[in-house]
Amino acid sequence: MVGIKKQQSVGEILVRIWKNYSIVVVFFIIIAICGILAPRFLQPNNLLNILRNTSIVGVIALGMTFVIIGGGIDLSSGPVMATSGAALIFMQRMVTEAGTPVYPLWFAILVCCLIGTAFGLLNGLIITKAKLPPFIVTLAVGIIARSLVMYFGRGATIMGNRIIEFTRIGSGSIFGIPTPFIIAALLAFLFHFILTKTKFGTYVFAVGGNENASRYSGIKVDRIKIYTYMIVGLCAGIAATIEMSRMAAVAVTTSGSQYEFEAITAVIVGGTALSGGRGRILGTIVGFVILGIVNNMMIMLNISPYLSGAVKGSVILFAVLMQRKD
Amino acid sequence: MESILKMRGIRKSFFGVEVLHGQDFEISKGEIAALCGENGAGKSTLMKILAGVYTCDSGEIEYKGEKLGPNITPMDVQRRGISMIHQELNLLEDLTVAQNIFLCREPRNRIGAIDYKKMNSDAKTLLARLGEKIDPTRKVHELKIAQKQMVEIAKAISFNVELLVMDEPTSVLTGKETEILFNLIRNLSKEGVATVYISHRLKEIVDLCQTVSILRDGTFVTKKNVADVTVKDIATLMVGREVKESMASDYNGNGEIVLEVKDVSDTMLKDISFTLRRGEILGFSGLVGAGRSELMEVIFGIRKPHHGEIILEGKPITVKSAIDAIKANIGFVTEDRKDTGLVLGRSILDNINYEFWLKNRGGMRRRRDSSKRTQDAIKEMSIRCTGEDQLVSNLSGGNQQKVVLGKWLIANAKILILDEPTRGVDVGARQEIYRIIQNLANNGVSIIIVSSDLPEIMGICQRTAVMHEGRLTGVLNNSEMSESKIMYYATNV
Repeated sequence: MVGIKKQQSVGEILVRIWKNYSIVVVFFIIIAICGILAPRFLQPNNLLNILRNTSIVGVIALGMTFVIIGGGIDLSSGPVMATSGAALIFMQRMVTEAGTPVYPLWFAILVCCLIGTAFGLLNGLIITKAKLPPFIVTLAVGIIARSLVMYFGRGATIMGNRIIEFTRIGSGSIFGIPTPFIIAALLAFLFHFILTKTKFGTYVFAVGGNENASRYSGIKVDRIKIYTYMIVGLCAGIAATIEMSRMAAVAVTTSGSQYEFEAITAVIVGGTALSGGRGRILGTIVGFVILGIVNNMMIMLNISPYLSGAVKGSVILFAVLMQRKD
Repeated sequence: MESILKMRGIRKSFFGVEVLHGQDFEISKGEIAALCGENGAGKSTLMKILAGVYTCDSGEIEYKGEKLGPNITPMDVQRRGISMIHQELNLLEDLTVAQNIFLCREPRNRIGAIDYKKMNSDAKTLLARLGEKIDPTRKVHELKIAQKQMVEIAKAISFNVELLVMDEPTSVLTGKETEILFNLIRNLSKEGVATVYISHRLKEIVDLCQTVSILRDGTFVTKKNVADVTVKDIATLMVGREVKESMASDYNGNGEIVLEVKDVSDTMLKDISFTLRRGEILGFSGLVGAGRSELMEVIFGIRKPHHGEIILEGKPITVKSAIDAIKANIGFVTEDRKDTGLVLGRSILDNINYEFWLKNRGGMRRRRDSSKRTQDAIKEMSIRCTGEDQLVSNLSGGNQQKVVLGKWLIANAKILILDEPTRGVDVGARQEIYRIIQNLANNGVSIIIVSSDLPEIMGICQRTAVMHEGRLTGVLNNSEMSESKIMYYATNV
């Protein structure tokens, strides 16, 4: 039996495809159903619009995939996104007396991403050094971050300046494809590469799969965990950049609200195990696009927005049920 | 004798691979029957089918003249008086001893609430039958592994049991506890309780059992009266070929000292010093809880000593975490494969390469090189698998252990520590593991083996250090070793 590859029958290949790509199959079933219910849904403009709208949560979900595979969770991403977004707005609206910006735009974006990453570092440090459960730590850090935005924004909306070149990030397109989705896709490629081809990615799976064995194997478990939280923090910063570019404002109480749950939902719908050690970026992409489709269909079919939670909940259950491994 | 259980033509496949090819098994009232076979021979699978954990693909089970249907649940089986101790402990760590013993069968008082007083006193009585004085209100996670096993046994006999199945019950027990267990089984047998006893320790089978049924590769080989066979006969029948007893002798090389441990102390250990030479095989004997595993954890950087020195090839080193030890070419095959040895949900390739990747620079996995290393290890260790991408959780115990050994081989360990390397490993795979250890030593790897199995220590170690309650009480050369001498130091009487 050692190392011999058996000739596979067509049936076996189909079974294997179903095992590995059931989420993609489910995805196409959903698209087909949507197309039948509302033919307008399949128009290219609508599809592109879905990709644009879903990419912000999508970027966070991509980072969240690392944390969840590593056996953790991050409930602070939404508020962290609002906080780093607020910093970006503060910096981009500062102008000199001559009317030129104090800081170049790239610098403001960089600071925004760094703030997100710093929150990730904070989460990771507390979780690993104080040995506290990630659920509680990130919940608390999220509450702190939300409160900070509200304080600096004095409870109102923080308004920024509309700068054309900045607006392009969130609202522009390249070759007809929405820029936010291009950013998400590039990140997805990078993250897929990191998870499957690098040692770091392998260690993330190991730590999520069996923390003790990883420690005995010599993996620096704490460091790996901290990195995963920094990645999702960075993603919150990138998501903030896109969101700010579209909105040019931070509504202190609602900006990024529920994004962490949407991101976690996308990861879970994509087949990543909440217990850690198992998961894929491809799944997460399909996961957040499905969520985008659901939001879109609610409008298409004129369903009361109050019912959106009911539909989303059902989709989660359906998707997870479809990929259940006996 | 009237037969209590008949299993006929049992077939079972996993993932399209048939592991039981029409298995038969029969046991009479009051019989103590051993079930022997190499790892993967199908013993545990057969018993799990009986217990209702797995459903067989075909075949029939007749218990006390009544057919058991295919949809029988573990609960039904228990209610009929079949009780099983699985190879892995199945206790809920955060519940108390008594709660575990009476799980789902808690005694109730008049208003229907759980009668803890009765539950605890019943548990105490049961444990006393096993010679254990564990407080039934203690949480299971506070217990030592041997005590947990006794709780598991107490649970098994707490039912109105008529057929008792024990899968490797003694792998974590000491000699004294094993003796108590055997007496209990003999007494139960006199009351008419039949026992199926699965163990890799063939000497136990000869001591305890009346008959021995042998399985090989999922088929029934033979059933014999224990009185008619020797340990060697059983081993030969199991593997289907002659088994060589491995013979060790004193260390006669003049290799330099590669590892020197000086005055290591912590809460558990007291001033431990010893040396290890190149290519030497050094054993560590002692009772469970003597501090042997703790000492190994200190050397491997998992546990921090209060004081003491570790000197590697003449230079003092500090090992603050496992990676420091790994970089110093020390390898550690831990006692608990599932908890600390392997990431079960990942592939053979991943598990075999972790140390290599960590020791070497660069950020990439380099699939092709990793794959080649894995194939080499699979061949070298003769790991039975469907391929390098197979999940480690789908391998048998012996093959999992070979994966652990393989990763240290690939990581080029110069000092290899093995903690109970053959626990839950069958005779055939055990011989292979001994062969691997011997080969490594011949190639200049220095080896430390922690083992509670005295024949193992005497069979393979050139020297053995004996520990008692955190102290090193004696060091014996192979020619001086005997069971009584080792036990003398281990109990420090």
